[in-house]
Amino acid sequence: MRITADDLDALALGSVFLATGGGGDPYIPKLITARALAEYGPAPIIAPADLPDDAFVCALGSVGAPTVSLELLPSIDEASGTLDAFEAHLGRKIDAVAAFEIGGGNSLIPLLAAAARGIPMIDGDGMARALPEAQMMTYAMQGISPTPSVAYDYQGNIAHFDCSDPLEYESVIRQHAVDNGGMITTAEHPMSGAECKAAIIPGTLSFALKLGRLLGDNRGPVNVLVEPLERVFENTIYGACRLVYSGKVGAKTSRVVGGYDVGEAVIESLESDQEPLTITIKNEYLLAQVGAQIIASVPDLIVIVDAETSMPINAERLRYGQRVAVFVIGAPQVYKTASALEVVGPRYFGFEHDYRPFQ
Amino acid sequence: MRIGIDVGGTHTDAALLQGDTLLAATKASTSADVVSGITAAFDHILEKSGVAAGDIECVMIGTTQFTNAVVERRELAKTAAIRIGLPSGKGLRPFTDWPQDIAEAIGGMDFMIRGGTLYDGAELAPLDEDAIDQAIAKIGASPVRQIAISAAFAPLNSNPEEWVARKIKARMPDALVTCSHTIGGLGLLERENAAILNAALLPFAERVVASFELALKRRGIACPLFISQNDGTLMGAKFVQSFPALTFASGPTNSLRGAWKLTGREDALVVDIGGTTSDIGVLQSGFPRESYNIVDVGGVRTNFRMPDILAIGVGGGSVVAEDGHSIGPHSVGHYLKEEARIFGGEQLTLTDIAVATDALELGDASKVADLDPALVEAARSTMQNMLDEAIDRMRPGGRKLPVILVGGGAALVTEKLTAATETIIPKNSGTANAIGAAIAQIGGEAEQMVSYKDVPRSEAMAKVEAEAKRSAVLAGAAAETLKVVDVDEAPVPYMEKGAMRLRVKVVGELASLGGVT
Repeated sequence: MRITADDLDALALGSVFLATGGGGDPYIPKLITARALAEYGPAPIIAPADLPDDAFVCALGSVGAPTVSLELLPSIDEASGTLDAFEAHLGRKIDAVAAFEIGGGNSLIPLLAAAARGIPMIDGDGMARALPEAQMMTYAMQGISPTPSVAYDYQGNIAHFDCSDPLEYESVIRQHAVDNGGMITTAEHPMSGAECKAAIIPGTLSFALKLGRLLGDNRGPVNVLVEPLERVFENTIYGACRLVYSGKVGAKTSRVVGGYDVGEAVIESLESDQEPLTITIKNEYLLAQVGAQIIASVPDLIVIVDAETSMPINAERLRYGQRVAVFVIGAPQVYKTASALEVVGPRYFGFEHDYRPFQ
Repeated sequence: MRIGIDVGGTHTDAALLQGDTLLAATKASTSADVVSGITAAFDHILEKSGVAAGDIECVMIGTTQFTNAVVERRELAKTAAIRIGLPSGKGLRPFTDWPQDIAEAIGGMDFMIRGGTLYDGAELAPLDEDAIDQAIAKIGASPVRQIAISAAFAPLNSNPEEWVARKIKARMPDALVTCSHTIGGLGLLERENAAILNAALLPFAERVVASFELALKRRGIACPLFISQNDGTLMGAKFVQSFPALTFASGPTNSLRGAWKLTGREDALVVDIGGTTSDIGVLQSGFPRESYNIVDVGGVRTNFRMPDILAIGVGGGSVVAEDGHSIGPHSVGHYLKEEARIFGGEQLTLTDIAVATDALELGDASKVADLDPALVEAARSTMQNMLDEAIDRMRPGGRKLPVILVGGGAALVTEKLTAATETIIPKNSGTANAIGAAIAQIGGEAEQMVSYKDVPRSEAMAKVEAEAKRSAVLAGAAAETLKVVDVDEAPVPYMEKGAMRLRVKVVGELASLGGVT
């Protein structure tokens, strides 16, 4: 399988859907990826199962604020420069790259590095969605050390990190981003092909592409999308996909939960006798509830689409009065273990309830 | 006394106001020669009101000429783009992702140079003065005289752009320069695109302003001339010669402001029903609510702040299906007088339905007398439902508000809209846009990225507010009348706590005519 410039719109669209409100606007990452594909040709994609066990692999992506990259425009050099620095630091050639997460720019950065280098990108990622922190990646959960890692900033400055604790690594790398222009590219989680196979969530890249094509083909009223969308999630690494609510965006408020500034969007039903649905946001859509009843919570995927165009809506683009439909998709199985839920479950985000899988 | 004129694509509307009182209004077709269209409008309202030209204190003009120039790719000058931001952004040169025809009309010369600022105000890179000298020399040797300058995080720190602009002015006194920080907020590519479009319109802006001034001179009107801009405030004629792109959405804005003036309702929804669409906007404290989305102007991505408008295909010329259960989006447009049933045509339009229900007296009513009453009722209620649903989408915070109907098609609506607390069709609703032009005020805004960890909120707010006021006074506002009308605070996602994007907007009265509006 290879990814060409013609696939980018669909891949970005599918990625925005799976980013559950976060991940930023894919417009600029899409532009530079298109240029990389035009310059270097299509990006080869490899299934995790086809990776040789002794291959040398790393995860590649950006850390920081998508808002910053609206001004500090990214370029192809940052992705390939990061890989060069990583190889120089570890003294080994990288055979394939993997994505941190599926969302906004981070599903595209490994792709443009792969195209520029002529090495394959692995069909999979560490989250099967977007989440805010490094320790939430399955690579870390499977015990692969995040370091040695390298960070590459807008000036081409390189920093090396050595820190095997994922939580501590997250805080160190985030601070490094803050101190160096607000956006950096990192290559981390060095692993063998065998380790990668055990840790990566397989097939998410090709699934995002398939999902994006489905969304592109079903632009228009959301009622047309529901059935094909439910079907596309059948027999995947995700749980079932269901339309849980339709309405329009009412009040948006914010409050503090567990030390985070958390936003809230209220979706009002068009049927007057139905209670509104409240979505809690911290970068991503994390919790959906009707009154005190929890409909779904992280790590299950909560996705809001425009009811008239069926296009997924990022949290920053959610607006009063928009007619929307809310879908919930069951989290991948890997997130349902007790140890995984410690870092991606509702309590980690400051909510006071345990995760109950979406039925 | 003052005159507001709205020069639209099809109609030129004019209104004469004294204080809050409308003395006369007129509607005429826009002529190919804009000057004679405006002088004709002057003649008409001065004659109608018996007012002498010498008594006019101020003329305000709203115009779509600059929007149309971009959309139709005409009157655009070749423009060189200088971006300061290397080493970041190498992969995305200026004019990236522009439609080919407009890129060819404007582009061909762009430069990327080291320098700029980071999100926290630190230097991105030292400004590469040699590269700037080389760029200026290259432009100087070419016929191009329009230059757009952009720099990373220029809304936060405008010094790099200003430094380059001064250097250009010193070396090329005949150059026309637009700096991106003067025209848009965060989002380098979109702000740069806006600056390039603006620079490309600068020679045309001089001609347009000259034609407006000529029209005033021909009628012996010797008073200040103002042009209305996107946010419902005014800019001086000199200012529009530097910022023509700020007029891109003044048409819908003037309708909204006119609706406010005609009714005195500060918080309301406004439906401007024209021939092809109904444009729905929101008045908040008497000003249009603005959209936060990326705005596409003639296929170019920009981040101009524009009024938040929802357009639906319901207008006087909208074609009604045979069973009456579906309307538009096809419209006979300005062929209404040939194609509508009441004028002997074949098409059943919403205007025909309005005549059939006696809501409107127009054309030959006998031509619609035999319409099935069930069809007429179905069409009427379908239209009401479409409007109700669209109004419902635009309601701020789910609140029910009064709805003001303006525009030539306001008479199509015969029953109260269920999405509204009340439905108001003001007198003179047909010329709301010209009235809106006549009451615009002077505004200013500023935007910065701040960290409340480093600078207390009140201090940051005061700084941004002072910057907004400074730009309003520069545009012609009386400093003592300035009021903050909008504060927008948004946290920057995935960053340390306390990092915010802060924007303040102020509005005040014209300094030259304090209290006139």
